[in-house]
Amino acid sequence: MTVLAVDDLHRSFGGIRAVDGVTFGVEQAEIVGIIGPNGSGKSTLFNLLTGALKPDGGSISLFGQNVTRLAPYKIARTGLSRTFQIPALFVNMTVRENLWTAAVQFDWDNARANADAVLERLELTHVADDLASTLSGGQQRLLEMGRVLMQKPKVALLDEVAAGVHPRLRQIMLDAIRTLRDAGTTFLIIEHDMELAQDICDRIIVMDAGKIVAQGSFEEISHDPHVMEAYLGVSADE
Amino acid sequence: MSRPASGGNPYLNLGVLALVVAALCLLPMMTTPYYIRVATGIALWAGIALSWNVICGYAGYISFGHVAFFGIGAYTTAILMQPNRGWNFWATLPVAAVIAGAVAALVGWPALRLKGAYFAIATWALAEAVREFTTVVDFTGGSGGLKTPIRLDDNFFFYTMLGAAAIAYAMCYLLLERSRFGFQVKAVRDNESAARAQGINTTLVKIEAFVLSAMIPAVLGGINAYWITFINPASVLNTIITDQLVVMVLVGGLGHAWGPALGATAMFLLQEQLRVSYGETTAYIIVVGLLVMAIVLFLPDGLVSLGQRARRMRLVRQLLGRVRDDVAPRRTENQTEEAIQ
Amino acid sequence: MTELAQALVGGILIGGLYVAISMGFSLSFGVLDVVDLAVGMWVVLGAFAAIVASDALKVDAFLLLPVVFVVFGVVGWLIAPLIYRVRTSKYALPALMGLAFTFGLATLIRGGLLTAFGYNPRTVHTDFFSGNIELFGITAPAIRVAGFGFAVVVTGLFLAFLFYTRTGLAIRATAQSKENAGLMGIDVKRISSLVYAIYTGITAIAGAMLGAIYAMTPEVGLRYTLFAFFVVVLAGLGSVVGVMAAGLFLGVLQSLVTTYVGADYTLLVVFGVLFVALLLFPQGISRRGLA
Repeated sequence: MTVLAVDDLHRSFGGIRAVDGVTFGVEQAEIVGIIGPNGSGKSTLFNLLTGALKPDGGSISLFGQNVTRLAPYKIARTGLSRTFQIPALFVNMTVRENLWTAAVQFDWDNARANADAVLERLELTHVADDLASTLSGGQQRLLEMGRVLMQKPKVALLDEVAAGVHPRLRQIMLDAIRTLRDAGTTFLIIEHDMELAQDICDRIIVMDAGKIVAQGSFEEISHDPHVMEAYLGVSADE
Repeated sequence: MSRPASGGNPYLNLGVLALVVAALCLLPMMTTPYYIRVATGIALWAGIALSWNVICGYAGYISFGHVAFFGIGAYTTAILMQPNRGWNFWATLPVAAVIAGAVAALVGWPALRLKGAYFAIATWALAEAVREFTTVVDFTGGSGGLKTPIRLDDNFFFYTMLGAAAIAYAMCYLLLERSRFGFQVKAVRDNESAARAQGINTTLVKIEAFVLSAMIPAVLGGINAYWITFINPASVLNTIITDQLVVMVLVGGLGHAWGPALGATAMFLLQEQLRVSYGETTAYIIVVGLLVMAIVLFLPDGLVSLGQRARRMRLVRQLLGRVRDDVAPRRTENQTEEAIQ
Repeated sequence: MTELAQALVGGILIGGLYVAISMGFSLSFGVLDVVDLAVGMWVVLGAFAAIVASDALKVDAFLLLPVVFVVFGVVGWLIAPLIYRVRTSKYALPALMGLAFTFGLATLIRGGLLTAFGYNPRTVHTDFFSGNIELFGITAPAIRVAGFGFAVVVTGLFLAFLFYTRTGLAIRATAQSKENAGLMGIDVKRISSLVYAIYTGITAIAGAMLGAIYAMTPEVGLRYTLFAFFVVVLAGLGSVVGVMAAGLFLGVLQSLVTTYVGADYTLLVVFGVLFVALLLFPQGISRRGLA
């Protein structure tokens, strides 16, 4: 079942076409990676999907429902969850409270128990009652992931979720992603880390200058001439 | 029980509140009418300061127009208790609350979608607009003001004011520290984009907080109007009320449940002392301005922070230097915003 | 018809001064990231300073404008680091605290002026520019024309500084992105102080000119704060042309209200227009500053 369908999405900033006619679909319980050089439009795409930005053209459907013009909080309530490149935490609240807040619109009644479970799984129990702002960078990213877990989303958009994270913590995150996927969550992951992308993604979408230049398994795209051109500047003809 | 809640032990907090109130109830038997009146004033200001803390400390939106709601409440009660209408005092209070709440919703609806500075000025302008309005319109008595029926009963007003303030505190404590609504409000304050991404209708939450924060001063304003018997724009819609409000909450502690009460007590006593010693002077305004600046610079978390873990206290930190190397700095709003863009 | 033309011209002439004030105010916001709620008080303070200085020194107020500029520039220079510190604080809510701080500053200035001068209105006396000027059948007080000319010169110099000098470039870079500016070796803190100092200086002398046209009391500070805010919201941050258009529009609006409705309603009308504008553009006229 197609969970997310994007059709000819456009968004410009001034004269720059950040997202230039992007079309793709994501099936249930797929883990799709999005890779591409800096400035290729990946984060803008995420912002469009979550409603933080409005597209200039094109449409987005979640579970068959057109969500293109919906307010961000409504899109979130349909079951879409995201992490931010710089962890968007509630700085004046403790780690535990941050997790609770993620459940405000969802499973509030069991939030306490769920939060405890998440804290344990992410090995954050020892800092549970510290202010979120006092966490190290890696821990903050874990907390970002934790918020996604609390929401039990149907579709999760992860933006470089493991960037700069200690390998052991990274493994925890990947395990969490896999567990969620087995339970039915669909993932769209922006990554710069090729190893991680290869490790966890079922399928890769490659973006460059706002367009999709290749799609397929990691093996397929890594031999794709367009991808090589985008990343290495090697001409497609060579 | 798996529902989350923070803000300390509710039995402890509410218990302390009940004890304090009970102790204060004994006051009329122990002291002179003058001090009863001072205590009534403190209760009044503690209540208004609380309301300001709701919109500012909890929701993160600084309002320089809260005096407008106080004035609306005062005028509603005064107008309804005029001889030709003769309403019962108690009946006027809910009306005052509803009118103030409606104004807050109306103004808040566009204004709360903006960033703090714009909201601040919009509310400041609202207060001025309300003041101008009451000056030019007839049924408010214009700049001449209105009289309310005389009731020379210090104890009555003391108990009423105390009761209203106590109810307000209990209500706000439960709503903001121990309910889902409180989490939503604080989330919106801390990181609005993240809150939205978690399905929170941030504009609605802000409006709700604003309406709540408007109704409290309205009720207190109504009681005040009956108490001081005579109101006019200069007495209930004066900018000095706003100034005082700001400094009270900042001194006590922004975003803390009991900060406003602490700040109100301290500042009201200070003001009384200055008034007794020097008379009504505008120099008090200078003191307020300086205090606000000083608190922001040196003790932004107010007096309550003196009792909390030293880690959170700015001054101590500066003296001791950074204790932990791995502490990640707080993200400013700009940084988080840039992350979205 | 002449009455309308009269009102329009009068409004544009006053609008010039509003433009001068709002330019500095807008830039100050762009660089320091704080809406200076004391802007109206700088206006009033400048006027009172001119009055006091000219009375004490027995010199025409107009000749003292450069002095006022320097004095308030220095004052702004001294205060700016405090604002910067509050705004870059790692504790509490920096933006909110910034607002509270400038609010405290505004209150302090207001209290000081009230204590020193009371509630009575004062005007700045200058012997230059008395009488009226007649142009194309429109009569305008010479002082207003002078005020406009003055605003043109000051704004022109300000913009020239901003767009044609190296420091101006540094300022503009900082206003766009403090982080990047810092990475390019620009001393953001010093630039902030400079910007704030220029802004307070300009606003003070603009206030002095306004004080020659309108009576000033310590209480009208809020009105000018609201005016500056009105211009900036309508103009959109970062838009020089926008500030000019909005500033002149404000002047015209004020003039029309005074002529046809009554000066007492000015604030109400301005607030009303602002309210409607915010209703129509809830997503922000400019990207910065509106959520």
